[in-house]
Amino acid sequence: MQIIEEIKKNELISNPSEIQKICLDKLKLNPLPNIKSEYWRLSNKSKFSSFLDHSNKNKESKVNLPYKKASQNIIRLIIGENNSINLEKENYSIKKLKEIEIIDYIKKNISNSDQNDHWSDLLNHCLSSKENILGLNISGNKIPPLEIFSASSPDSFNAKTLILFFEKNSKVDLIQINLGNKNSSLSQSTYLCLEENTLVNHGVVSYGESKSNLLNSLNVIQKNKSEYSLGSLHFKFNYARFEIRINQLDGNAKTNIKGIQITKNNDQIATYTTMQFNGPNGFLDQINKSLADDKSHAVFEGSIIVPKIAQKTDASQLSRNLLLSRHAKIDTKPQLEIIADDVKCKHGATISQLNEEELFYMRSRGLTLAEASKLQLSSYIQEIISSIPISKDRWDLLDKILKEN
Amino acid sequence: MQSKTKELDPILEVNNLFASIENLPILKGVTISVNPGEIHAIMGRNGCGKSTLSKIIAGHPSYNITKGEIKFTGNDIHSLEPEERAQSGIFLGFQYPIEIPGVSNLEFLRVATNARRKFLNKEELDTFDFEDLVKEKLDLVKMDSAFLSRSINQGFSGGEKKRNEILQMALLEPKIAILDETDSGLDIDALRIVASGIKKISNEQTGIILITHYQRLLDEIQPDYVHVMADGQIIKTGESDLALELEKYGYEWTDNFIKEQ
Repeated sequence: MQIIEEIKKNELISNPSEIQKICLDKLKLNPLPNIKSEYWRLSNKSKFSSFLDHSNKNKESKVNLPYKKASQNIIRLIIGENNSINLEKENYSIKKLKEIEIIDYIKKNISNSDQNDHWSDLLNHCLSSKENILGLNISGNKIPPLEIFSASSPDSFNAKTLILFFEKNSKVDLIQINLGNKNSSLSQSTYLCLEENTLVNHGVVSYGESKSNLLNSLNVIQKNKSEYSLGSLHFKFNYARFEIRINQLDGNAKTNIKGIQITKNNDQIATYTTMQFNGPNGFLDQINKSLADDKSHAVFEGSIIVPKIAQKTDASQLSRNLLLSRHAKIDTKPQLEIIADDVKCKHGATISQLNEEELFYMRSRGLTLAEASKLQLSSYIQEIISSIPISKDRWDLLDKILKEN
Repeated sequence: MQSKTKELDPILEVNNLFASIENLPILKGVTISVNPGEIHAIMGRNGCGKSTLSKIIAGHPSYNITKGEIKFTGNDIHSLEPEERAQSGIFLGFQYPIEIPGVSNLEFLRVATNARRKFLNKEELDTFDFEDLVKEKLDLVKMDSAFLSRSINQGFSGGEKKRNEILQMALLEPKIAILDETDSGLDIDALRIVASGIKKISNEQTGIILITHYQRLLDEIQPDYVHVMADGQIIKTGESDLALELEKYGYEWTDNFIKEQ
């Protein structure tokens, strides 16, 4: 656990920023999360250790982008490479956040948060240098699609932070791509703040190479009448953990979440979601899928919190899981904490295998077992992939996944 | 009983077939032979083994053949996978066609058709050529092209599912089609459409086995032979008037026959 040793000795950064100092102080007291807590107990300990085994390198290699831009209209940014964006157009503007705005926002977030639940963010802020924080203020309703890349360098630990403020009435398609290089660990913390009446269609695609690890934390604040849709896909990581925290601050907001994690070999990929309703008339529609093959392990834990103030909440959380091997493992736990009495909430979980009668039906029409399984898996994945914005790329991506699986 | 087309080699021969599922014997010595151009009907009570026979011929992996053989165009197909049987020309029309959410009906039909075409050394069809072909076949079963853009059988009515089965049969041009209770759940109009589709598809080279409980399908498609199944065996074979007898007297006599045995 090289990183933790460096934190303890305060050798991590030569000239730490204010945020880094705050987080270092917090972590020095308690450098590791409590592995007995509900939030961390299913994390594979040796894999988690391997996540922390790399050393933090300030010098990073240039990011190799996995595909070309589908259109010139897309705004493509790489965290750590081109943070100086400043666009002021007729129908929209994208401006870099001031350093003080970034510091204030992160400080506000970490000061009130539970150390165990936000351990991933604390670690991220300890290690994320100024150059690796991208903060943007976005406004307008004719904003071109945004593509934001975050990547680790081979044989190292890298931390990247993204903060996006969406101004009132803005409307945007955003895709975030996290790339894990071979034998590396990537810590990505993302903060999205949706002002009133904004519409954000967000895709998160994370994929790695051999022995890559990922800690991906997503914190979303939704204000009145905002609508946030998330489509996510995580695959090919030795160890990956996706933490989603969404807070409907005043109620009257809409959240849609569709996510899938695909595990193979000996991988472990976990998704933890916390949906907090802090006002009336909130809406959530969530589906999380896992597809586990070989000796891999997929985890989903979802929590919906509906306090008394959140009357008339309408929330649904489903966890659907497919086991492709008898040695693979899936843990799933969707849960509700409801205090309000006038709400409509449902949750459920299923774990199944490829349907044999469906396979036989397709085979009886001449499709090979491999073709029939591929069609079945493709339809299983497609429901989620189709919710990720930017159409052409998502199909390239689906092809890539299917070829590799 | 003499074959109508005795000069031809049989397409399908099932010889003294015994089969079980999870060690439970279902078929107890079935023998049947189908020549090109022949239509056979198999009738019998629920649970007598009709559907099992059809699934075993199509290669369902859950069943275990314990004795006997199945020959298709003269070759034992015991070791063939279901897809190899389908590609070589065996078609099973399902009693309960399976719904497969998320898998496009059009894409499924195209992949299936191309698998058969590849076996026949015919050129595989791209999306555009396949759409032309499928639209032509849709007319046979009076189906709307909107069905193609939906998931396989998802949200289809009982009649639509059965018509989709016959559409698949039309596209795959099998040598033998085993249609398992294709008439169940159909109203009179739908039954006529399905029966007319089957008649148009079948020809002198095709063999057909109709599995049914009722005479009404056989009024539309006259069989050359009728077989009565009971307790995993074919206990009687006759011509089309045997079905009329069954309609008139029911299956009680088959119980007595089994008891006597």
